[in-house]
Amino acid sequence: MTPSAPAPTRAAARPPGRARPFAKAAAAAYRYRVYLLCTIIFAVMGAAAPHFLTPGNFSNVLKGTSTNLPAAVGFTIVLIAGQLDLSVGSAMTMGGILVMGLSPSLGWAGAFGVAVLCGLGLGLTNGLLVAKARINSFIVTLGTMIIVYNAMAIYCRGGTIPATTFALSDFLQRPVVDLDPRGAPPALLWLTLWLTPRNLVSLAVMAAAAVFLRRTPAGRGLHLMGGNPQAAWYSGLHVDRYVIGAFALSGLLAAVGGAVVAAGEAAGSLKLGENSLMTIVAAVIIGGTSMEGGKGTVVGTTVALVALTALINGLSCLGAGHEVQLVASGLVLALIILYDAYWLHRRQRRRGQRKDLLEELQARAASDPPAGRGSQGAPSAPGPGREGRSHG
Amino acid sequence: MSPPPPAARRTRPPAGGRVFGALNVLGVYGLVGGLFALGCAISREFISPDNLMNALRAVTLLGIVAVGLAFVTYSRHYVDLSIPGIMALSGTVAVWALKFGFVPSLAIGLAVGALVGLVNGLVIGYLRLNPIIWTLAMMSLLSGVIRWAYAGRQIYPDKATAAGRAFLELYHHRLLGLLPLPVAVLLAVAAGGYFLMRHTGYGARLKLTGSAYEVARLTGINVRRAVAGAFVISSLTSAAAGVLLTSFNKVGAVYIGGGYDFRTITAVVLGGMTLAGGRGSIVGVLGGVAAIALMNNVMSLVRVGQFVLGDFQQNIVQGAVFILVVGINSFARRRTGGDDA
Repeated sequence: MTPSAPAPTRAAARPPGRARPFAKAAAAAYRYRVYLLCTIIFAVMGAAAPHFLTPGNFSNVLKGTSTNLPAAVGFTIVLIAGQLDLSVGSAMTMGGILVMGLSPSLGWAGAFGVAVLCGLGLGLTNGLLVAKARINSFIVTLGTMIIVYNAMAIYCRGGTIPATTFALSDFLQRPVVDLDPRGAPPALLWLTLWLTPRNLVSLAVMAAAAVFLRRTPAGRGLHLMGGNPQAAWYSGLHVDRYVIGAFALSGLLAAVGGAVVAAGEAAGSLKLGENSLMTIVAAVIIGGTSMEGGKGTVVGTTVALVALTALINGLSCLGAGHEVQLVASGLVLALIILYDAYWLHRRQRRRGQRKDLLEELQARAASDPPAGRGSQGAPSAPGPGREGRSHG
Repeated sequence: MSPPPPAARRTRPPAGGRVFGALNVLGVYGLVGGLFALGCAISREFISPDNLMNALRAVTLLGIVAVGLAFVTYSRHYVDLSIPGIMALSGTVAVWALKFGFVPSLAIGLAVGALVGLVNGLVIGYLRLNPIIWTLAMMSLLSGVIRWAYAGRQIYPDKATAAGRAFLELYHHRLLGLLPLPVAVLLAVAAGGYFLMRHTGYGARLKLTGSAYEVARLTGINVRRAVAGAFVISSLTSAAAGVLLTSFNKVGAVYIGGGYDFRTITAVVLGGMTLAGGRGSIVGVLGGVAAIALMNNVMSLVRVGQFVLGDFQQNIVQGAVFILVVGINSFARRRTGGDDA
């Protein structure tokens, strides 16, 4: 076989012009995979589970989402900065327990203030240790996760701190607009049911973070810094400040989230952030944020969190136990990242290929009769390097 | 993560280089020695053979798991978060397989663990998925599957059969009436791990893979297989520890092995293995395990009047020491010009 003959590949075997009929659809499906996943979960659960698509249950899903949303937003920001924050779960627990423990003496406003400040302090500590002491963020946040959790266990003596009054809890859980369920149109009723202050806080955090990441110079700098710290450093960004800021935001948001949840539930306990880390990591990754840094959206995280919460909620509507929920969320996470890896693998295989060259090759493969291939001495074009980088 | 150091920082002779160089060589054994001295100073009980033996027994299983996990960290793939799942799975399956006899049950338990490790290795090594995320998903899957299979019931080895009695005896068995079996397993695993990492081609390939993945690949090393192998080794040691822990607890259950993920990575990193890969040794990892053992032991001996350090306080101290020691380590390595990160 002479070097001029390109090996028969799948792309070359197709008739020209209709090279990849579903390429656009596949690319769109990949790009909007979070929304697709969310839609599929809602469709399947809506069809299979009784009572899943009712206003009351939907507000349950949103309540579950808003529990982890602020911390997940913070986690997204840290991941975009190219770091990892394992302490978000502990920070949520801290926010919740401090608010409950301090509110009798300081009042709600004071307790919230202290809790949020402590979250900020935790984040700043993480950030300083990572940026200035240059310790790997995995190690720093693993350490602070353990320290904060145990400090809180000492503070609440391993138990639950109940609220002394339920006024705030009632306020947080009740819809802002109270409609008479008989007179109002159903659509409006659905909407108002979700608009509880508790959900609104999470929504506001999410919106603010989305605007910050997309529309401000600092947000764009964060993306640059996370994607390529050296380039960011060369272009004059204070890399350390961005890292510290990202961790500070993460600690602050997680504490806010934990405080609101505890106030809403009228109890703060060590269990509050127990499973949050797993859920948050899963949601953020499914939402399309990259572990490598520099890439990710808050909206994706939110949609993924809604999807995961809906999945678990729907499974419990179906009567499935905790174990099925664990398997299902693990499976969804595994499938999504496998799909991700497959897509990346394909793109890397085609990286460096020039479109015009590919088309030329395809045209030639189509016009050449298979028997005469290699003997006609066609001008040799360098192979598109399909085997170039199959991994790495 | 860190910005490139300006050229000036590179060329300046490192201040205190000799001190930090010594720190690097001593590594975690400095900490072990310090803790030992502290223990002797605090309490007379400390150096009694009984106490030291207890301290050692408390971390034997941790040591076994840590030696395996060290290979994963060595290959720059951070951590295997599915370790608790593998431990619970292999222990539970071993108890289930006792009806086939004692030795087959151990073999099946180990094989199931290795199978999970193989899946991890194939996915992470060959498909290049992020190890943290994949093993997290695997952990969730495994704990769900175990709960599913046993519907939340715990399964007990049957004392009526010889195999069941042998299984329950396993953890407390003493080789030649002297050496406890878990300690013997730890010694064997550590020796094997040391040999594999230092004196075989695989160890050398893994070191290069961990230090510079792309360079290793271009050199012609089968990097995918090297990484996959590291996960299989990690799962094998976890499975062994899981079977032993199940024998100790006398019950196969999903919560067996809980907490071993973060505790092990603490020991591994404390022992001087860097998350940047390709650095550290099994001897260091054993030092890390010993440091954790001594730290817990010394803290449990601290008594100032009525004040005793509880579990929570001990954990806080441990977390702080962890960050501090790793910080000093990486600082020393930078100062002696060994490392940028």
